[in-house]
Amino acid sequence: MSSPGTLTLRVREAEMISPLLKRFVLESADRAPLPSTGPGAHLRLMLKDGQRKYRNAYSIAATALDNSAYEIIVRRVPRSRGGSVFLHDHVNAGTIIEADFPGNLFPLSQVARKHLLIGGGIGITPFLGYLAHLRKMPASFELHHFCRVEEEETFGHLLRGADGGKVHLHPELVTEFDLAGMLRTQPLGTHLYVCGPEVFMELVLATARSQGWPCSKLHSESFGGAHAGGAPFVAVLKRSGVEIHVPEDQTLLEAIEAAGVEPPSLCRGGACGQCMTEVLEGEPEHRDHYLSAEEHAAGRAMMICVSRAKGERIVLDL
Amino acid sequence: MPDPSIPSRPKYKPFALVPTARSHLIIAERAEDLPDLPAGSSEAPIEFWVVVNDARAFGAQRLSSGIEITRFRSVTHLLDQLTHRLEREYVGLQLYAIGTEPFIWDISRLARAHGLDRDEFHPTHSGTLRRRVYCVHCRSFTDNVSTTIVACSGCGAQLQVRDHFSQRLAAFMGFQVDAEVPGELPPIEEAYP
Repeated sequence: MSSPGTLTLRVREAEMISPLLKRFVLESADRAPLPSTGPGAHLRLMLKDGQRKYRNAYSIAATALDNSAYEIIVRRVPRSRGGSVFLHDHVNAGTIIEADFPGNLFPLSQVARKHLLIGGGIGITPFLGYLAHLRKMPASFELHHFCRVEEEETFGHLLRGADGGKVHLHPELVTEFDLAGMLRTQPLGTHLYVCGPEVFMELVLATARSQGWPCSKLHSESFGGAHAGGAPFVAVLKRSGVEIHVPEDQTLLEAIEAAGVEPPSLCRGGACGQCMTEVLEGEPEHRDHYLSAEEHAAGRAMMICVSRAKGERIVLDL
Repeated sequence: MPDPSIPSRPKYKPFALVPTARSHLIIAERAEDLPDLPAGSSEAPIEFWVVVNDARAFGAQRLSSGIEITRFRSVTHLLDQLTHRLEREYVGLQLYAIGTEPFIWDISRLARAHGLDRDEFHPTHSGTLRRRVYCVHCRSFTDNVSTTIVACSGCGAQLQVRDHFSQRLAAFMGFQVDAEVPGELPPIEEAYP
């Protein structure tokens, strides 16, 4: 049963491509063509593990040419909220999964003269979609991907293709690479895209800024890391008259939804601004990329998808 | 200041260096438009480009502030060199243009064609508010227009200058005002003397 705006998907294929990475091919359960997606799009899966519900977003690594299927790659993260472990252990060919219509908060610039892609680890997934598009265009691009030595072969296999000199796989830490030097010599009009662990992205973006890169040229996408939990607290929804206990491994938005309240939300990654909520009492611990530094300091609004409470209690206008 | 009664006429900010730049290229239509920047104004190198309309003043020199200044014989000469320069530049450059609207928007067009965004290109208005007019009929430009009606430099049509500025064309739209009864013109006003 799917409500408006959701898709019912069946897992067509599921395979381990490395000890920690599992690839899924998802098709429409009724075999109807899936919505078209652009490079950088993500799919939010609604997973039910007994009483627990997870809503995890994954980049669409590929869409079948006939729109019959999406491909995602999931890294097993044992100490996370559990969605990836559930996908690894319990989701296999034939499983039915509900998902939202795909969204895209990481689109390619239409005016870039060159695209510089910098990925870390599983942050390669949106770039797999990018590469297919950039090769087809064709557009000027350069990809640098950083990974662990033991995963070099896996990523090398994912990145195979005839792109002489454009795709660089680095089985090393980004700190061992002359990032500043590379960012100093990018032609005017280059757009930089970064996807990977939070610290990795912060390092790349900070280095770019220190080399004079303006905000309009910097694009980043994060899922997971930013809302990996924190200290438990109590949230009071004043208009709904509900008091909720938010445990350490659940986001505020998930806890609110579990209580039967459905505030507007979209990206669930602190980027889009849809779930901005007024704070009536208490201090938020901001983890979003949407509000400005001044708005963070003022503390009158928060992104409930990623941010939490600093103290034991927060009162929201919901 | 640009006329606030024309909504499409862009609003310009006063000149200011972008502190995060890796290099600055500041382009002025006249020498007196160049900002006064003492030594140490920025950690990043600063370059001045200026039009002097003089056949003898030509080439690059270093000012006492350490800023390198290049003088161009004409606007055309400068724009031609700028194309060449932007093709070879790197991300981190901040570009500034100071002068009349046609001048700064001609530079804006080059900047945009080379992928510069609004946070990398900074136009500042200085000088006359006389308008460049684009003839929507023959596509010619007529420069330095102070009146509300002007004869097109291309086809000679009497053009009503609309209060509609096109950033892409760096000009105001002009359309034939006496198309129905040739020679019958509304009163001509001196809008920007």
